[in-house]
Amino acid sequence: MCGIAGVFHKGGSEEPVGATLLRMLGALAQRGPDSAGVALFGGAVPRGEICWIKLPEDASAGEGEAIALQRLGTIARTISHHRAEGLLRAVIERTAPVRELAQRLERDGAEVVSLGRRLELVKRVGTPAGLSELLDIEGFRGSHGIGHTRLSTESKVDLSHSQPFWARGVPDLATVHNGHITNYDRLRRIYEQRGYRFFTQNDSEVIAVYIADSMAGGRSFEETLRASLDDLDGSFTYLAATADEFGYARDPFALKPLITVETDDIVAIANEEIAIRSVLGSTGTAHEPSGHVHKVWLRSASRAGAAA
Amino acid sequence: MIADAVTVDCVDRTTREINRAIREAVALGRSVRVTGPGARHNLAVALLRPGHVVIEGSAGYYCGGMNDGATIEIRGSAGWGVGEGMLSGRITVDGNAGNGAAASIRGGTLVVRGDCAARAGVAMKGGLLLIGGDAGYMTGFMMQRGVIVIGRDAGEALADSMYEGVIFVGGKVASLGNDAVYADITAEDERMLAEAYAAGGVERPRTLRKVVSGRKLWNFERSEMAAWREAL
Repeated sequence: MCGIAGVFHKGGSEEPVGATLLRMLGALAQRGPDSAGVALFGGAVPRGEICWIKLPEDASAGEGEAIALQRLGTIARTISHHRAEGLLRAVIERTAPVRELAQRLERDGAEVVSLGRRLELVKRVGTPAGLSELLDIEGFRGSHGIGHTRLSTESKVDLSHSQPFWARGVPDLATVHNGHITNYDRLRRIYEQRGYRFFTQNDSEVIAVYIADSMAGGRSFEETLRASLDDLDGSFTYLAATADEFGYARDPFALKPLITVETDDIVAIANEEIAIRSVLGSTGTAHEPSGHVHKVWLRSASRAGAAA
Repeated sequence: MIADAVTVDCVDRTTREINRAIREAVALGRSVRVTGPGARHNLAVALLRPGHVVIEGSAGYYCGGMNDGATIEIRGSAGWGVGEGMLSGRITVDGNAGNGAAASIRGGTLVVRGDCAARAGVAMKGGLLLIGGDAGYMTGFMMQRGVIVIGRDAGEALADSMYEGVIFVGGKVASLGNDAVYADITAEDERMLAEAYAAGGVERPRTLRKVVSGRKLWNFERSEMAAWREAL
């Protein structure tokens, strides 16, 4: 199955999105106990890029951290860093565009989990409750976020195969998916020929690559989600978010559940309304769209500006 | 609110405990008020006698499934498969319904005041599904008997591969499904529709169109291979 959840504040930028998402994922945890993760959008770091990088598995934690820092050191100065289970969070100097930074790190064998100015992307094997070991999610303040709780059906259970996936090379863009992309092999071959590197056998990873490639080709976020309805095959309900946008896309057959509640201030989305009610109480009316649909919300610039 | 109703609160109770409490109250002839449903799944399923249950909020998947005689009111939205397999009774959803509303019902009435998502009334074998708003993709797919009335617009592939039964639509139809055709509304249809709307719940649209099976897929005909290729 897999559970996906998202929360989006149209204006507010100091909202408790971490705690909200954790509660939503807790309510969906029975949809997937294998692994969990969140992508949260907070305030931008004053300078530099937030980089989450996976520690090498073949070294002890301390050695892995040293290796990761050494790799980071080859591309930029590290302003701050800390280890979080199998991941390292570092704020690095902005020495080049994100795509280039990621490519240089990956050439050295590193697996970049996310890179951007506002995005914090953490994931782990196990239930959503354990995510707080990696980041102060309960205390996290921001504007929006998406989360995932995984039931593996096609590929192995480990940190790399967990979701969300970063749209590699695009700053602050992440996605979570429930379903099965049946033209995954074909798409993967196409993207590999174009030079994209895949780190997992998880078919959901191709959605992140699809989005990255589409936006690199000049399409907007909204155009990308719309085009994906025809370019992706299989069953999919996925959420995606950038620093300012938040949206969903759903396959033509509406094979995976997608429930939305929208008020004047907030959008909450999950596979099951039970997750939304766990945070919104009785506020708003739940609605399930039909198939072959997408929708994008944009942060209200004036309100966001006023709040910032 | 129902007078002298038994209140069953969902908070901190398992689904089994909630449903047992509902069934016990219904067996005693008492009306039931279900509080704090929080869109929990499988609420008020398999009620096999007349009774009155009000769910004070949204319900999750399969609410009122296998209902045989009870009146269930959902004061919120409902998830996938609301009323699935109903034999008789009446279920009302004040909000919207998820995929597969009234799937495979054999009798009874499901009223959805808002919209239904995909595959509402899939494989219906009787009964009435009355929708106030829109209906999504493949509504009435492989329907075998019964009536679906859609107040506003219908999505793609309406009534795809239906065997029998009848669908009425008040708004636009994105597309008809395989072997679905428009038909004239008869005096008997009018009587049935008047009765359906008189029972309350949703407003009747100004005009309705009727969709039925073209019956071309009932028996295989080699000369109609193209239709079969399309349908399969």
